[in-house]
Amino acid sequence: MSEMVEVIVDKRAFNAEKGTLLIDLLIKEKIKVPYFCYHEALGADGNCRMCMVEIEGQKRPQIACDTLIKEGMEVRSTGENIEKVHTDILELELINHPVDCPTCDQAGECSLQNFYMDYGLNDSKITIPEKVKGLKKVDLGSNVMLDQERCVLCARCTRFTDKITGTHELGIIGRGDHARVSTMPGRKLDNPYAMNVVDLCPVGALTSKDFRFSQRVWFLKTVDSICHGCAKGCNIYIDHNKMKYKDDQLYRFRPRRNDEVNGFFICDEGRLSYKALQEDRQEKIVLHGKEILEEEAIKAFQTLVEKYKSNITVVIDANLYTEEIEAILDFSKEIAANVCSPLEVYIDEEFEDDMLKSANRAANSKTIENLNINSNIPDKSGLLINFNHPGEFEAELKIDFRTHQDAKTEFILPLASYVESSGHITNEDGISQYCEKALSKNDPVPTVIEWLEKVRS
Amino acid sequence: MKQKITVIPRYGSSFKDKLYLPAIYDGVKVTFKHLFDNVSDINAVDTLEYPEEQPTDITDRYRGLHRLTQRSDDSIACVACFMCATACPSNCIFIEATEREDGHDEKMPKSFFIDTLECVFCGYCVEACPCDAIRMDTGIFSLTGNSREDFVLNKEQLLANKGAFGEENSCARD
Repeated sequence: MSEMVEVIVDKRAFNAEKGTLLIDLLIKEKIKVPYFCYHEALGADGNCRMCMVEIEGQKRPQIACDTLIKEGMEVRSTGENIEKVHTDILELELINHPVDCPTCDQAGECSLQNFYMDYGLNDSKITIPEKVKGLKKVDLGSNVMLDQERCVLCARCTRFTDKITGTHELGIIGRGDHARVSTMPGRKLDNPYAMNVVDLCPVGALTSKDFRFSQRVWFLKTVDSICHGCAKGCNIYIDHNKMKYKDDQLYRFRPRRNDEVNGFFICDEGRLSYKALQEDRQEKIVLHGKEILEEEAIKAFQTLVEKYKSNITVVIDANLYTEEIEAILDFSKEIAANVCSPLEVYIDEEFEDDMLKSANRAANSKTIENLNINSNIPDKSGLLINFNHPGEFEAELKIDFRTHQDAKTEFILPLASYVESSGHITNEDGISQYCEKALSKNDPVPTVIEWLEKVRS
Repeated sequence: MKQKITVIPRYGSSFKDKLYLPAIYDGVKVTFKHLFDNVSDINAVDTLEYPEEQPTDITDRYRGLHRLTQRSDDSIACVACFMCATACPSNCIFIEATEREDGHDEKMPKSFFIDTLECVFCGYCVEACPCDAIRMDTGIFSLTGNSREDFVLNKEQLLANKGAFGEENSCARD
């Protein structure tokens, strides 16, 4: 355990661990400090020079990201002198920046824009209209687009491929004004976590090809959620928007920091899983190939449950929320049904890696285990009620609750997907996490709990 | 604290005001003056026989129907930055962006709709545009149609509208 020391920042005293980075303290205490190159996951690099602070006893301003905390340190992050330093360094960054914010997808969440509003607001002193040109549209691979002109050379992306994925695809080549990010000739950015560089990039140099031009970021609404791609339970932000006269739609998933689960990143497969959530959705109630009304469906459901009394099996998808699984258990008890949730079908060894991907593709399988639900394949029964489980089971008659159009059974009822309702899921390490409801559709599909209320009445 | 109270005297309480007749006389005098003027010289009546006669006093500051401007090589000046749609108080601008392949910038509108029935003609879109790509200098003040859909102008219609005051192309892009 290291020693705790007292440091003074802007005339306020803070306790911090000796030998840790000063910038970590500033970020933790929410003291405004501008920076491009520092990132808590990637460590200090000290190349952008934006995080300058004044330290008592030092002749010149120092970078906070490479200064270690010492006993009795006295730091000033505001004041005329240090703000002039920030303004001047920002001016240097902007000399060759194309300032094409109108066409840049990063506009609205761009550090350069934010710092300009905080420290800049000055006119350029450069009288030469020409700027150093670079390639504007480079497809790096893995859905990442590079604009070399917008780059501030913070090297976060190259450090990500060096330190985090260890794949070393990106590097900075050239010197001075001609320095630029590039891949090795003939090589592409290719690793399952590549799209994290889009979030890491503080400016619009690296943008997502998938999100390219689809929305301006200030229109998006953000909710906190959990990725359902595997049992890891990575924390995500869901960005969605309901445009005028249109339906609520998902636009992207972004990683949300949680040091206990996923840290700062998510895998690309999880990031792009939002697409499948809104394609080929089951929206109609289908009985014998014909669309029927909800009242007829409820009546048919009740008749079938009555007919097959004590010969019913209920199968639960291990991706449903804990609240939904508990509600199904209660309902199954009422109709005296066998309950099971075969977990074998979710195992995908090829998906697993030693970072964030788990071979168990069921987001809430821990709850199935915790609630002691039978995880074996059920014996043949009279009536099988399947709550979105992907497996195929034998039964005389099947009722399928489905989020997507993948069932070809007699009686299919639509089900809301996880972004259209809220609840908890427990990841493979036993951490229970809450997902907020993201989408409010124009024609909402009932959730599990709503269906169970309807068929009970 | 001492309150400041200003007492406003009630007007119309004098004998002359209570009679009403002097005020009626004043009003009718103005009416009859105009009547006699107009009857004596019917051609001097200050009216416009619209629509046969069209107004001639529309200035270049008049906010008429919108148009999208072009660059000097006739390509669209708009880069689909959504500033107009963001500034629009009635949310009547609907843009879909796409990749641009004609060598200018990277982005252009795939579709650009203005619902003129929802538009309040405030001109914020023109103010917000960083590319001088949307203007309201067409001088067009009347738009007719047979259905609601006729009033939703698309990109081609907006590009076809021409400026009425000389400045044809976008001043910000070339």
